[in-house]
Amino acid sequence: MAPGLDFEGIVTRYYESLYQFAYSLTRTEADACDLTQETFYVWATKGHQLRDVTKVKTWLFTTLHRQFLESRRRQTRFPHHELEAVDYELPVISPQTASGLDAAQVLRALAQVDEVFQAPVALFYLEDCAYKDIAEILGVPMGTVKSRIARGIGQLQKILAEDISAADQTKN
Amino acid sequence: MYRPGTADANDAEFAEALALVRQDSALRDWFEAHCAVQQALRARFKEIVVPEGLKEQIISERRSWTLRQRWKRPVTLVAVAAVIALFIAVAALWLQPGAVSEDKANLATFRSRMISTVRRQYTMTLETNDLNQIRTHLAQNDSPADYVLTKMLDKTPVTGCGVLGWQGKPVSMVCFHSGKPLPPGEKTDIFLFVVDRNTLSDAPSDLAPQIAYVNKLVTASWTQGQRVYVLATEGDEALIRQYLN
Repeated sequence: MAPGLDFEGIVTRYYESLYQFAYSLTRTEADACDLTQETFYVWATKGHQLRDVTKVKTWLFTTLHRQFLESRRRQTRFPHHELEAVDYELPVISPQTASGLDAAQVLRALAQVDEVFQAPVALFYLEDCAYKDIAEILGVPMGTVKSRIARGIGQLQKILAEDISAADQTKN
Repeated sequence: MYRPGTADANDAEFAEALALVRQDSALRDWFEAHCAVQQALRARFKEIVVPEGLKEQIISERRSWTLRQRWKRPVTLVAVAAVIALFIAVAALWLQPGAVSEDKANLATFRSRMISTVRRQYTMTLETNDLNQIRTHLAQNDSPADYVLTKMLDKTPVTGCGVLGWQGKPVSMVCFHSGKPLPPGEKTDIFLFVVDRNTLSDAPSDLAPQIAYVNKLVTASWTQGQRVYVLATEGDEALIRQYLN
């Protein structure tokens, strides 16, 4: 293995962010743990092929995302919303509203976003990856990544706004 | 889409837009609201809690992955000599009183390790519906082959077997299919692990099976003779008890 790529060091450095990415995709602790462990299993068996230390993070996230796609079972726990074209002019939710949200609400909303947008939105928020790194992790062109992120965030905010509105109406 | 507090601030693509924000107050108000929302959402994602012990489990499991990988590699004379030398050294270590593995050699850890293996990625070294072939294959690979199946398991279609590792000893994995529909590409939904009881510091009772839920699977563990058995499948206690008859 190339210098600087010792297994325990890699695990220590990336396991938390990998788990958070996995959880944002699967929304269950057990599946997220499995995905994270699978990713490090692949790293343990194939990581020696990577020579460029600077690519470790991208390699790990790419592997996790690929494992997720391979093992995914379609679940219909959350219905997908039919949404119109995103309105970019103003944020759909206010900063005060966004600050009042909790992680569970945001992840529930993410689960209702179009599946193809979920991973790019999660990477956008969780990691300070450059757009080109996100594109590499997901295996799509950069233009596609930017479009998916923008549309995904638009959907996310609309869903959150609708959920908040529905909750307010219930209270009243 | 711009992310406040990240490298996007130095990204040339955003430079022109950021310059416009500085010049236009209405745009600046919108931009500040946008940044506040993005920061709030980002903070929510960062609040995802990582389970305790995950790092340690990943690092500890790597040892068993490495053991399995070594078994698969072609050997050379030099490698054979190295293995023999290692065996002598390890045997000397085992003979010393108090020598322990770095892994906790208990039932809970064993169960967790086996379940993680089948949840993640496992290999059936032999795929067959013939139980006799399975016993022969396991025996040839020095893995426990003298296991006793319950009447129900004896009637359940078998799909194959594999050999795993635990505390330096082989573990027999016998795979069954309950008959329920399975996702494409999957053939097995019941796993039976058999290991030497001496590898566990707390082998379960031979009087009544222990039922435990591990990572979305229900398990039943028991001892019979010199072997410890762990049976695992998706479902609940009532379901797995059917296979214990």
